[in-house]
Amino acid sequence: MSNTKIVFRDVSKFYGEVLGVNKVNLEVAPGLTGLVGPNGSGKSTLMHLMTGLLRPSRGEVSVLGVSPDSPEDLFRLVGYCTQYDNFPNGSTGLSFLLFALALHGYSKSEADERAWAALTRVGLTEAANRRIAGYSKGMRQRIKLAHAHCHDPQVLVLDEPLNGLDPMGRAEMIELFTELSKKGRHVIVSSHILHEVDVISDGVIMIHGGAIVAEGEIREVRGEITSHPIQVLVRCDRPRAVASRLFELEHIVEARIVEDDGLLVSTRDASDFFNKFNRIVIDTGVIVETVAPADESVHAVYDYLIGEGLGGGSA
Amino acid sequence: MTTSANLLHRRQVVTLANHEIRRSLFSRRSLAVYLLVGMPLALMLLRALFMPESMRADATHATTEFAEVFHFFLLRFVVFFANAMIFVRLFRGEILEKSLHYTLLAPLPRTVLVFGKYLGGVLSASLILAITTTLTYVLVYLPHGSAGLQLLLSPSGIANLASYLLIVVLACFAYGALFMLAGLFFKNPMVPAIIFLGWETLTPFLPTFLKVLSFVHYLVSFAPVPVSLGAFALLARPVPWWIALVALFVSSAVLVFAASRVARRLEVTYSAD
Repeated sequence: MSNTKIVFRDVSKFYGEVLGVNKVNLEVAPGLTGLVGPNGSGKSTLMHLMTGLLRPSRGEVSVLGVSPDSPEDLFRLVGYCTQYDNFPNGSTGLSFLLFALALHGYSKSEADERAWAALTRVGLTEAANRRIAGYSKGMRQRIKLAHAHCHDPQVLVLDEPLNGLDPMGRAEMIELFTELSKKGRHVIVSSHILHEVDVISDGVIMIHGGAIVAEGEIREVRGEITSHPIQVLVRCDRPRAVASRLFELEHIVEARIVEDDGLLVSTRDASDFFNKFNRIVIDTGVIVETVAPADESVHAVYDYLIGEGLGGGSA
Repeated sequence: MTTSANLLHRRQVVTLANHEIRRSLFSRRSLAVYLLVGMPLALMLLRALFMPESMRADATHATTEFAEVFHFFLLRFVVFFANAMIFVRLFRGEILEKSLHYTLLAPLPRTVLVFGKYLGGVLSASLILAITTTLTYVLVYLPHGSAGLQLLLSPSGIANLASYLLIVVLACFAYGALFMLAGLFFKNPMVPAIIFLGWETLTPFLPTFLKVLSFVHYLVSFAPVPVSLGAFALLARPVPWWIALVALFVSSAVLVFAASRVARRLEVTYSAD
């Protein structure tokens, strides 16, 4: 199996008779990948399978060529921030990280250095010696993130990592994820808040009812959904003039005037639309402010694929 | 395995053992263990306070009195349940606490994880129970004044104490391995623990071929002072100490090995636990 990707080969997981995930085939390349789906869709199961906390009932998982059955090799490469909000009794932020780093085999001084670096990265230096039991929800989320990346892993698996963080905290963490993905790391972020994933991910994996419904860059995924015309929003000074010319094209399904000089165009052939649109602009002499895809968001794609709204921001 | 991997595994075992010792000795949950081990001490203190003068003068009974207390209360109840509480918690406690995944996310083989936790459990249980046994032993002799003290500090008194401590430590190895495995297997390991206690209690009344299936049968081989087990006990030839030692260590090793096999298949499904 690939030494640079996370690979699922025909993986199924059953909890007794209950289906966790079904016949999953995936290849996750480096970068920031969003794993999206509603609660109970199988996101956490997929992440647990990736990290060996669950074993597949069928199929095979490999993380950069390493089987999750070899924790001694796997967790040199992987850091996992789980959804569980529990911690060893009596732990302080610092002792929690030091214990993890000691198990990685770091010497006392190196573990100390790494622990403080991780605490600094998540903004918890002042609370380092306080018991985690007294931390706020956001602080607990931060210490879990510090735990997941304190050993500088190649793969960071994060289950709903932005839950409980304030807007500033979210921005900081998103910056951290982006920075790590730019360094060529795998950062896999699950969320049921599609807007969040839309903003940060290079690619998405959409899961529903334990099955992968789509995977890849969001634009590619959207392009493959032929059942729904692609929507493009045009802002210009004379939208009506543009609309009348657009209706001459066969693949235009709808051209609707929206507020503030906007024109929402639905087309079955996006590339032909963009080719011909240039000509229309030149011919009509309209002044165009913006031309942007209107439904190349994770939310829209998810709605098209699953046929049910997830909500853009609700928990 | 390479030398560096060996060295790393040794360090991981020490880290895990230290962690378990701290949890076993200083966590809030240790309170139940301390209450349990406090029972024989409280009883012996009460005995010392309310002992009639006529009994105080005669220290010769102290040796058999302690032997009876050790066999019927310390070994079969306090040592048994203290081990159950400490070792069941090694895995089951963390599963209930929903914090086991942090250890499972460390780069260490599950065998190392099991051995490190087991070692920590053995050391902390041995420490707590050795102190309890020693204090109980002293409290049995102390009310007898200088005669009791003389007996306590005599070579035979010290040798007897050493034998009892050996039994306690061996019991921690054997019961510890059993309860750690039970903690991995059962959602409520106290039920099998109580069934096993019944088996251990019945041992004196069982035929020899069944006695060999209990730990207490081997543990009492090291007892320095024999006690009467009652009219219905089926007497068996005492097991030679070296056979008892081998039997206890081999069975402990088999149980720890079984625990590491179970741990290798261990999954994190807290909601189901």
